[in-house]
Amino acid sequence: MAERSTFQIQEISGHTGPVAGRGTQRAVEVCKYIDVTTCIGCKACEVACVEWNDHPFRETVFDNTYQTMPTTEWNYWNLIKFAEQERDGTMMWLMRKDQCMHCEDPGCLRACPADGAIVKYENGIVDFQQENCIGCGYCISGCPFDIPKFNQATKKVYKCTLCSDRVGEGLEPACIKACPTGCLHFGTKNDMKELAEARARQLREYSGFADAGVYDPQSVGGTHVIYVLHDATRPELYGGLPANPQIPLTYTFWKRIAKPTGLAMALLGAVGIFFHRVFIGPKTPQPDPAPILKRAEAADEIETGKKENS
Amino acid sequence: MRAFVERFDETARRRFAAIGQTVVYRGELLRHPVYTRFLHWSVAIFFILALLSGFAIYSPWLFRWIAPLFGGGPTTRALHPWFSLFFTIFFALQFMNWLSPMAWREADRRFVRQLKEFAANKEKLAPEDTGFFNGGQKLYFWAIVISALIFLLTGVVLWFDHQFPRVLVTISYVMHDLAALLMLGGFIIHLYEATAAQPGTFRSMINGAVTEEWAWTHHPAWYRAVTGRDPRESYERARRRQAERERAMQLWEREQDERERAGAQTAPAGKPEP
Amino acid sequence: MTNGWIDIKNTDMMLIMGGNPAENHPCGFKWPVEAKLRRNAKMIVVDPRFTRTASQADLFLQIRAGADIAFLGGLINYAIENNRIAKDYLVNYTNASFIVKEGFKLPEDGLFSGFDAATRNYDTASWNYQEGGSVGSTESRSPQAHSSPATPGHGPMAGATGGGHQAAGPAGAAAQGGQKPAPQLPPSVAHDLSLAHPRCVFQLLKKNYARYAPEMVERITGIPRDQFLKAAEMFTSVRKDGDMKKAGTIIYAVGWTQHTSGTQIIRTAAMLQLLLGNVGRAGGGVNALRGHSNIQGATDMGGVFDIFPGYLKLPNPTDVDLGAYLHRVTPKPSKPAEWDSFNYWSNTPKFMVSFLKAMFGDAAKKENDWAYDYLPKIERKYSWTEMWDYMYSGKVRGLFAFGMNGVAIGPNSRKNIEALKKADWLVVCEIYPDETSEFWKAPGTSAEEMKKINTTVYRLPGAGFAEKDGTFVNSARWLQWKYVALPPPGQAKVDQEILARIFLKVRELYQQEGGKFPEPIANLSWSYTTPQSPSLSEVAKEINGRALADLTDEKQPGVTIKSGQQLPGFAWLRDDGTTLCGNWLYSGSWTEAGPQSQRRDTEDPSGLGIYSNWAWSWPANRRVMYNRASCDPNGKPWDPERRQVWWNDGQQKWVGNDVPDFKVDSKPQDHMGPFIMNPEGVGRIFAPLAAFADGPFPEHYEPMESPIANPLHPNQSNNPVAKKYQSDLDKFGTPEQGFNVVCTTYRLTEHYHYWTKNNPMNVQLVPEPFVEIPAQLADEMGIRGGEKIKVTSARGIYVAKAMVTRRIKPMLIDGKKTFQIGIPIHWGYRGIKEDEGKTALHPANMLSPAAIDPNAYTPEYKGFLVKIEKA
Repeated sequence: MAERSTFQIQEISGHTGPVAGRGTQRAVEVCKYIDVTTCIGCKACEVACVEWNDHPFRETVFDNTYQTMPTTEWNYWNLIKFAEQERDGTMMWLMRKDQCMHCEDPGCLRACPADGAIVKYENGIVDFQQENCIGCGYCISGCPFDIPKFNQATKKVYKCTLCSDRVGEGLEPACIKACPTGCLHFGTKNDMKELAEARARQLREYSGFADAGVYDPQSVGGTHVIYVLHDATRPELYGGLPANPQIPLTYTFWKRIAKPTGLAMALLGAVGIFFHRVFIGPKTPQPDPAPILKRAEAADEIETGKKENS
Repeated sequence: MRAFVERFDETARRRFAAIGQTVVYRGELLRHPVYTRFLHWSVAIFFILALLSGFAIYSPWLFRWIAPLFGGGPTTRALHPWFSLFFTIFFALQFMNWLSPMAWREADRRFVRQLKEFAANKEKLAPEDTGFFNGGQKLYFWAIVISALIFLLTGVVLWFDHQFPRVLVTISYVMHDLAALLMLGGFIIHLYEATAAQPGTFRSMINGAVTEEWAWTHHPAWYRAVTGRDPRESYERARRRQAERERAMQLWEREQDERERAGAQTAPAGKPEP
Repeated sequence: MTNGWIDIKNTDMMLIMGGNPAENHPCGFKWPVEAKLRRNAKMIVVDPRFTRTASQADLFLQIRAGADIAFLGGLINYAIENNRIAKDYLVNYTNASFIVKEGFKLPEDGLFSGFDAATRNYDTASWNYQEGGSVGSTESRSPQAHSSPATPGHGPMAGATGGGHQAAGPAGAAAQGGQKPAPQLPPSVAHDLSLAHPRCVFQLLKKNYARYAPEMVERITGIPRDQFLKAAEMFTSVRKDGDMKKAGTIIYAVGWTQHTSGTQIIRTAAMLQLLLGNVGRAGGGVNALRGHSNIQGATDMGGVFDIFPGYLKLPNPTDVDLGAYLHRVTPKPSKPAEWDSFNYWSNTPKFMVSFLKAMFGDAAKKENDWAYDYLPKIERKYSWTEMWDYMYSGKVRGLFAFGMNGVAIGPNSRKNIEALKKADWLVVCEIYPDETSEFWKAPGTSAEEMKKINTTVYRLPGAGFAEKDGTFVNSARWLQWKYVALPPPGQAKVDQEILARIFLKVRELYQQEGGKFPEPIANLSWSYTTPQSPSLSEVAKEINGRALADLTDEKQPGVTIKSGQQLPGFAWLRDDGTTLCGNWLYSGSWTEAGPQSQRRDTEDPSGLGIYSNWAWSWPANRRVMYNRASCDPNGKPWDPERRQVWWNDGQQKWVGNDVPDFKVDSKPQDHMGPFIMNPEGVGRIFAPLAAFADGPFPEHYEPMESPIANPLHPNQSNNPVAKKYQSDLDKFGTPEQGFNVVCTTYRLTEHYHYWTKNNPMNVQLVPEPFVEIPAQLADEMGIRGGEKIKVTSARGIYVAKAMVTRRIKPMLIDGKKTFQIGIPIHWGYRGIKEDEGKTALHPANMLSPAAIDPNAYTPEYKGFLVKIEKA
């Protein structure tokens, strides 16, 4: 169980300067492990999430599926995605709990320009601080899992908090608490990874799922929500889980290259014109009442300087 | 189309001229009528607002300084597209207003080729074929036109990001920012050129008038067009006059000096020599 | 459940059929998951649809609804053919070796011996054991026979001649009119331990199910032969080479019950489990998943028309006095002479007299036969459907509907609606207005028609489950006390207050005005502190029972139960009026030590998930029933790693992690059967006499509405003794009339019956009714997902959006391409979406038929015929 002390902020969106207290203690990384192979799609986690976070009910419509709604919403952070798949004549009904993956390298945080709107704690939880959110929506397109959602009324973006409020008090997230089959687990990243690997091994050895494996995509530095899948080679079967989630390249280019370059150029420009004015001076309407002497003097001085130097 | 633009612009100009006025003194030329000045400053205000609010979102370093000006992050973010929208509208009008003087000419090509010399301030007078706007100004204008278009397109995508595919949105962010950088670069130069680098320019957008000297110095072809005089000749005459004035002044000063010296001999002794 | 929810984690093999626990019992489903995770247990799921449960299965087979006996019979055949049977278990713990009387005929033509075509009933006299001793070789490893079997129970009819038999239902007796004495089981049964005698139960079993070869299974169920064989191999693999270590469980729910052969489907499962030696063992058993939080408790407490609490049978008019009644219902042992039988039902007189004392208190005296006359006697089936039929025909004039939505429940909801229109009055106690309390809002009721309805409806606001305390009895037979979370809102009242106030008023009227037979009402024991609203703890204590005089027991010298003290268990019950007990099965649930149902100790020293000190389980807090069968005949556990109980030579008694379900001092050498509730002491592979109305062996009969004639015996396609009604609304459809699609009904995880449609949270999860249809059928008909379709049966229509899915496949049934569809039952014409007019307003049970299982009287909600078209 995560200790409160791990709620040390590690990274802050749009924040300059050092992060207070960073690295002051050994961090325990928390992790949610979802065994998709024992999820029965009962939606208890969906309800627990809505209730714990006091979300209002949404109007839904029948959409030829058991899935509650097409995607997560600003007030529906936890959604089981149902997918019917047929392999070699064998039916599979895949049910995957979709929510924020709490990436080690969060695309939302990288995209966010607002100071303190997104924080990543030392324990790995990526949390949105709505009071600092400016509603620009950069995080929405920065997320490779399509998780942050915009609320038109408040003009702010919301997503799963991994129940940072509960975890901070030493409790498990609400979804974990509600899961009846125990397909949801919560603990340290190391422990969960170990459990998940053991389960994947069991699936490979005893259940005939030769491609079973753990989903902990390294393309975003690993995630603090990991899955065990029957077929880890094709995560996209599970309601569109990306095989290789990427923070959009444009963001990396934009944030890491374009922004500093742009700013440097603007600064250089300002400095440049200042020195232009100092060294070269203005273009005054002619005839200029002041004679041309100054430049001559300057030339002399250069000459003198050259002499002195040589 | 062109006719419509001109008709519209003409009407607007007349309407504004009826409301405001431009005082032109002797030795001055009318450069920017009321309508143009109105457009310029409207564009400028909204551009600066959009730029500042955009900068707040653009850079964390600037965020904490600028965002409070607009009432915090969320309002900054909310206002930005509206500032930009007004900028776009006014700039569209200015585009119509300036479409013909901003037309690219052979002289502008030459200007661009000699940009280095221009920046180094080698020549005191602009090339004789420099018209109402020089090549640099036109360059800036067209840069704004292009970036405004990019702004508009990508801005709409970003404003209504739910309606567009994610790839488009991510590309738009970058394009939007690149356009901003392009415009910012031009803006810094524009600001400098219009104030410190060219004394007498700023008032053209305030009073609407410039001195004749300014006109033949910076926009000789335009000077020729509005006065019918040859700018080089006018300059030479002015220079001669100035030389004469200076000689006369020197003469007068010498006379004065001599007069003072004569006075000093009659004065009591004891005054220390410098 | 013979076992319990947690015990499922101990299994090696699961057959989940006729149930969808992942969907309908998600919390309990953690234990099947646990078995998979911890033991690499295999899971076979057989269902008409690929369900949420199927998503977890190692092997899923799509079966035609109503073909379950064919499948299970096929498994029995496979197990016998491939010698995947528990030989020792079979010989010693079941009646496999018993010889059946001559004259018994297997149903090769669809009928057992004794069928009376006129009354459509069986004379069960030939369904009996042959009297006598051992007729075969005694090479079995059974311990040496013991002399003089003890009969612990003795009652008022001890001197009566002949034996009794347990299972003669009141109706059976009524049908036989009491003219001739009911046939009885022989006290000493002829047997052949080599199982070779042609008329021994095992040989009959083998012969009967030889007809259920894989090819026949395929024809009936639609499960391809190779898939069936794969499942059969997998399930019977627990008994590979006769190894007894492993255990397999069978898990089912109302997907089995709700057929015209529902009881027999479950029996087939029980037989299969006996054959494989899986009953009584950790990780084994036949496990019924109950569909409501307290349906087990309701049944235990007599919530069925023909039983009293504790499964005591209701008297019928031929039981002229208590003696006659007890004589009829108290069984006498019937077994091979060398064996012993506990025959626990021999204690019936004690249970009954104590029950009468609880009912009538001091008014129940020896002189008046313990007020036996006050009890109602039933002469016919007052079953659910019967009740509505009587109301429809005008014989029943009023209805109390408490905690159930009679219209939506159906079957044949239209008939129930029409019946209510004819009633004089209706009292509904509910937490929401529902289809029953607003039956006139049913679709198709015209304004003109509405004016003619003269039913007076009284609506009583009841309390929700979280607003009441008391116990819930779960599927694992645990009594768990729950507490009040919130007081009932507004004018709502808890059930016991509503019932008590009605009772007190009725009693007052009887006292003031007299009546035909006021004594049962006037003398009913009602000694609660607050008569208007008895506290449930007081009622629970009364159910447990207490001593009415100081009690001693010769077997427990020095122990005295003082008068007025709570009884420690049903072993202390007396038939002399010195004890009072509301339900003998629950005796021990609220002792002098306090309410056992409130215990919350999580100690589990054995690791088997027994949790003896968590709540309280009937009977006698034992968690796995028949657990003597978890040991070999010598008293040693079949699997030393899953030790439940065992014989301790030193202590000369049965000990263990669980409470032994056995006579604790009965030595293995005594060869007492582990199935102590049967007069034989052994498990019944052959169910003799009137235990079942439709045969001692289950036989596959087609559902009342079936797409094919029964391939086993086309001339006797349906269950010959299944019940149908004759009213104009009881119509049945045939494929020839265009009803060519098999339809089944079910529930969803997201909803609970007919009330969660009033809860925004649940409505958000699944907002509207739908019909699941196979993609191939949709393609053929040009139906796309989300389009409205109309489902029509001979009785009614149902309109909803189509859920087009590949989870239901077309099937070949007896060579005929057949489609199945499924309808979740949760909607009607009252609820959030219903009130917005957003659904089609038809209860799903408008479609289902009132075709009734002859044993449990359950309607055939699953596997009836419909046709579908675009709406």
